[in-house]
Amino acid sequence: MAVKIVTDSLSDITSDIAQGLGITVVPLTVSFGRESFLDRVTMTTDEFYYKLTHDATWPTTTQPPPGDFINIFNKLAEETDEILVITLSSKLSGTYQSVLNAKDIFEGKCRIEVIDSLTVAMGLGLIAIAAAKAAQAGANLDEVTDLVRRAMPRSHLIAYFDTLKYLAKGGRIGKAQGLLGAMLSIRPILTVKDGEMSPVTRLRSRAAGMDYLYNFVAGFSHIEELAVEHATTPDDADKLIERLGSLFPKERIYGSTISPVVGTYAGPGAMAVSVLEAESK
Amino acid sequence: MRQVDSIDGQELREMFAAATDWLEKSVSDIDALNVFPVPDGDCGTNMLLTMRSSIEDAYRAPDRSASAVAQAMAKGALMGARGNSGVILSQIWRGMAESLDGKESFTGSDLADALLQASTMAYKGLSNPVEGTILTVVREASSAAQTQAASGGDVISIMEATVSAANESVANTPTLLPVLREAGVVDAGGQGLYTILEGALHYLKGEIEKMQFRKPLIIASSIPLVARLPQMVAAEEVPYGYCTEFLLKGEGLNPDKLSQKLKKKGQSLIVVGDESTIRVHIHTLDPGNVIHYATSLATLHQVSIRNMDEQHQGFLEMQKERAPAVDIATVAVASGDGLSDVFASLGAAAIVPGGQTMNPSTKDLLQAVELVATDKVIILPNNKNIVLTAEQVHSLTTKSIEVVPTETIPQGIAALLAFDYEADFETNTKIMRKAKSAVKSIEVTRAVRSTQLNGLKIKKKQAIGFLDGNLVAVGDHANDVLNEALAKLNLDETEVITIYYGADTKPTEAEQISTSIREQHPQLQIEVVRGGQPHYNYIVSIE
Repeated sequence: MAVKIVTDSLSDITSDIAQGLGITVVPLTVSFGRESFLDRVTMTTDEFYYKLTHDATWPTTTQPPPGDFINIFNKLAEETDEILVITLSSKLSGTYQSVLNAKDIFEGKCRIEVIDSLTVAMGLGLIAIAAAKAAQAGANLDEVTDLVRRAMPRSHLIAYFDTLKYLAKGGRIGKAQGLLGAMLSIRPILTVKDGEMSPVTRLRSRAAGMDYLYNFVAGFSHIEELAVEHATTPDDADKLIERLGSLFPKERIYGSTISPVVGTYAGPGAMAVSVLEAESK
Repeated sequence: MRQVDSIDGQELREMFAAATDWLEKSVSDIDALNVFPVPDGDCGTNMLLTMRSSIEDAYRAPDRSASAVAQAMAKGALMGARGNSGVILSQIWRGMAESLDGKESFTGSDLADALLQASTMAYKGLSNPVEGTILTVVREASSAAQTQAASGGDVISIMEATVSAANESVANTPTLLPVLREAGVVDAGGQGLYTILEGALHYLKGEIEKMQFRKPLIIASSIPLVARLPQMVAAEEVPYGYCTEFLLKGEGLNPDKLSQKLKKKGQSLIVVGDESTIRVHIHTLDPGNVIHYATSLATLHQVSIRNMDEQHQGFLEMQKERAPAVDIATVAVASGDGLSDVFASLGAAAIVPGGQTMNPSTKDLLQAVELVATDKVIILPNNKNIVLTAEQVHSLTTKSIEVVPTETIPQGIAALLAFDYEADFETNTKIMRKAKSAVKSIEVTRAVRSTQLNGLKIKKKQAIGFLDGNLVAVGDHANDVLNEALAKLNLDETEVITIYYGADTKPTEAEQISTSIREQHPQLQIEVVRGGQPHYNYIVSIE
């Protein structure tokens, strides 16, 4: 029986990818005041960004309760006896803790492994995709777990933000704090380092941001997987994918949207690129 | 909507027990905010310990009346008060207890009165009250409670008004207290009080469960952070001395008289209490002297003497951990408060004053290099005439020095912006050199004498414009000269123009020029920033 891969909606894995590779994606909850939505289930990413920019209330996000994971474990247990859960960084959300609690409570016969990816968005998504591909190819739980742990340091995420406004409002920004308070309007480039958002550099224009993302990818000589994500600018994402086609087969580049949780800080106009470096032989 | 018309002693206790748990969640964040009166990073902890002692005593109250519980809480707070903010907190409780005296339970309007009395007592405890602290927060919060009470309302609505006013008040503390502004933080004690009030409000609203999964909000400063310059830190470096605290127990004690006596012995003095018990908190260089005097009056209890210089070191370490882990510092040369702020806000570790007419000496630069905390230092001279001086520093220090030869302010800012937090010293130097060349600079100033240059006739005091150091335009008006210089560039290939206007230039003139550029090139992103630089009407960066 093949290992089943479970991740959360912050992996930015679209339903197409999830279905194709048999990945179960558990949604986090996004709330605007008293209204709550299941990420990508009862609220689309477009709706989220519309509300983020038009609604006066600041959205909050909540990890899936352990019960959600238990339900999924029960369901998956009908078809497998090995489950691997890969969550977003435990420093950005309590999802990892929630899964650990669920694993404790779960009484089924499945073997369950839980991994804190220490990253987010397609940085996490590409790891989950690699795991799902290995599972489909017949690897067992120990093998897939090992593969994920080896893939983690090879997964690189970099994001361009159009504005610091949302980052400043959100507060939960770890080491990116240093970017705030600049007296010029700057467009930051951020990464996830040790599980936290961390500044890389600062640019003055969107065009420079797109160049930066392109050059970031160009810096890798062996790419296994590549993903491009946007918040509200599909055209810019298409253009970037077109450009990246000179470095990596265009049709193999995963396109997705930046999920609400990261979007709360990134704001509209943000773009992100994730690279899963090939393992050196 | 839940409504609470009155609160008895038991609920009062439960409400603040919940508030104490709420406070506990953000203790470390509050500690990290602590810069006033002494940056020792223990404010949150002190407030928590004070609240705990207060709640413990609340359980020992003789009956369940609001009066008895409040009295017990006040006593507990006084006995267990730690640090400045803890002692002020105990005064707040004392005011509350006085106002609730004899009451079985209390209503919203009673609460508003109690808060007012709390604020009065808080001020009374200090010989030298400072605004922009927990004092301001309790005063403004209690005044909002009064206003709300005047139009009626239950306990929840009074508390909501109180919490919302406290929030605003905390956000505003940096505008009142310069040391907070420099550190880019809100007042820690004020934040602590806000968190306690917010916790109490959550309890009143029946949100106990929600509190388990949430963390209190740390309020952001209402003004943007400007990095504190190391020069300023060095100038103010005086020993903090010892934080000395004790409890006096006896008969016929007189807090006012004691306060008078101790006033000259140190700073941050707080003396609170009554005839039988007095709590003293003072920052002094000679704790022995203070203790000696106090023992002559009554018996001493809970004596605590802490070395604040040591605590301050610990605090600096803690701040270091919070800052981005960068082992490279940048020293920039700039003149004008606006430009200095721009460099500081972009992460320059030190700014050396200087520019075209006042080149800093090698010694000035060396001093700044030695002052910054890291062993690897990048110098941005930002002027052609200072590049050589900067290169001298290399041979005078054991630190590793790289000079990125920026010849103008825009080059310096572009270089600093491009700093890569992930990259090493050598790579960063390369990145910054590259970034500097990607920007064009225009400087508009006044001619100091009549001359002829580059085929242009210049009269004394006329406006002259330089493009990357070359004279390209002359005219009577600075704006015209800037326009003429800009016309030499192909602005269709430009993305961002930043105009730094000088100390003698009116903001309206700078706005005028940005509007006219915008009209001609709507695709451009144009920013106008006050540079405050002397001599130069405009320094413009074209990227």
